[in-house]
Amino acid sequence: MTDSIIHTEKLCKRFAGPKKEVVEAVRDLDLDVAKGEIFGLLGPNGAGKTTTMRMLCTLLSPSGGKATITGFDLARQPHEIRRHIGYVGQKGGMEHVASGRENLMLQAQLYRMSKDEARRRSNELIERLKLTAFADRKTETYSGGQRRIFDLASGVIHSPQLLFLDEPSTGLDPQSRARVWEEAKVLHEQGTTVFLTTHYLEEADALCDRVAIVDQGRIAAIGSPAELKKQIAGDIITLGYEDETRAKAAFQLLEGQRVILEKHDLGTSLQLYVDRGDEALPEILRIVGQGNYPAKSVSLTRPSLDDVFLKLTGRSLRGDGGQS
Amino acid sequence: MRDAYLIAMNELRVTIRNPFWAVSSLFQPIIYLLLFGPLLNGVAASRGLPGGDNAVQFFAPGLLVMNALFAAGFEGFTLRDKLDSGFIERLRVTPISRLALTMGFILQSAINLIIQSIALIVCGAFFGLHFDIGGSILLVLLIVLIGITMSSISFRLALIIREGGILAGIVNTFVLPAMILSGIMLPISFGPPIIQFIAKFDPFLYAVDASRALINGAIGDPSVWMAFAIFIALSVITLGVFIRGMREAVA
Repeated sequence: MTDSIIHTEKLCKRFAGPKKEVVEAVRDLDLDVAKGEIFGLLGPNGAGKTTTMRMLCTLLSPSGGKATITGFDLARQPHEIRRHIGYVGQKGGMEHVASGRENLMLQAQLYRMSKDEARRRSNELIERLKLTAFADRKTETYSGGQRRIFDLASGVIHSPQLLFLDEPSTGLDPQSRARVWEEAKVLHEQGTTVFLTTHYLEEADALCDRVAIVDQGRIAAIGSPAELKKQIAGDIITLGYEDETRAKAAFQLLEGQRVILEKHDLGTSLQLYVDRGDEALPEILRIVGQGNYPAKSVSLTRPSLDDVFLKLTGRSLRGDGGQS
Repeated sequence: MRDAYLIAMNELRVTIRNPFWAVSSLFQPIIYLLLFGPLLNGVAASRGLPGGDNAVQFFAPGLLVMNALFAAGFEGFTLRDKLDSGFIERLRVTPISRLALTMGFILQSAINLIIQSIALIVCGAFFGLHFDIGGSILLVLLIVLIGITMSSISFRLALIIREGGILAGIVNTFVLPAMILSGIMLPISFGPPIIQFIAKFDPFLYAVDASRALINGAIGDPSVWMAFAIFIALSVITLGVFIRGMREAVA
């Protein structure tokens, strides 16, 4: 694709593990992100999201494959790429004892703006993002949310074509998260392509035009949130149990039932994919009831991205792999 | 090079803003002048010091070298902190060249040392130090070379060592003996032959000798060109090693 702003072919990254074994963090990644998209990499920690992003924004050199970012070759023209991209890392990277404004000034000048230009652009962003109240305080006094908005401002100081956001809302309160989302949407409307990583399903769902679900260094599925959810036909019935033994016993009772399209044992709960939940539910409850393993709790839901992830990888995104 | 200057100015502004900066960096040398100077006066009176019986004249120029040893030797902490906070990472995605980033840190360390050295000479004057202007300018230049050497080593170590405590331990292990053997505190000629022999391998010995010559304006003293030769070589080598390390660590 020539109109994609990110294009990768068989991009991979191998690290030496603690015991000198080879860890394949990213394997044969083929990806195309179109201009103007908000594209999300969704997956648990350790799935290779951040490694992928660090490669794409010239921080980490790939072990193999190739990539074109904003029309330039990643291996040969990283310097050109850097002019056109913005990056907001997980740590932000603000100078703690300098003010937010000073941080922006430095960033602007590193993008070859004159002092006057830098001042004008910093003021403009500070006003637009409503940061005036604390722009001249040291950044070490900022709240997580305030700091993150400043990080964002510093990432777009040079109006990049492509903005990378690494876990933009991790550790933020819901209000700050909403603000980050709002700003990402504004940038999107202005034509900026946004590439983000997240392990929040809500974030991918609410923000992204397309999502790639990554697991163990590979893309498991790619598409719009709606498309991905469509892969799971019908409804999901979740049965909760007191303990794993009872759940397992009920799981065996449900073996071979034709109404169940697919089922997963999640420890103390069972997840059942069915065509029509309203019709299947009474039948399923009857079976586990008669088998002396009635469920402690029951829920009937429409599929979420979590269910897509579960279906693709056999593991839940919320459970073990969620937070670090 | 504008980028290196921007980085250096940013670092300096941040350093100077720290209220403890001025106090903490000059605290140690001033304490030496205040408390150790009088002790040394006693030594000068009873045993005599090379270069006369004025202890400050003997001791103060060495303090400049000592300050460079410690201040620049611990610069690695600054870099470690910047690596951990994501600051370096943020800069690496901007178009700034890796060399400019590296030189920015060296430059701020050098400017820092120049300010401190001038302040020390002025302080020394209050304690009765006589200084030759031309010689002192050369002395500050020598201090800068020592600073580049020490900060390059310290920065290079900070790229490998993630733990601040270990970094401090390593730096102290080398700086302390180097300082004592340089004859900053007491003339090496007071020691037994074995110490005198080992001290010959301490590059800072030559720096301290040169610092005493320079403060008195004895620019032609052989210790001066020797110290310059040693530290021009060392600063070039260590800076090269740091630049290479930086290139590998932050590709």
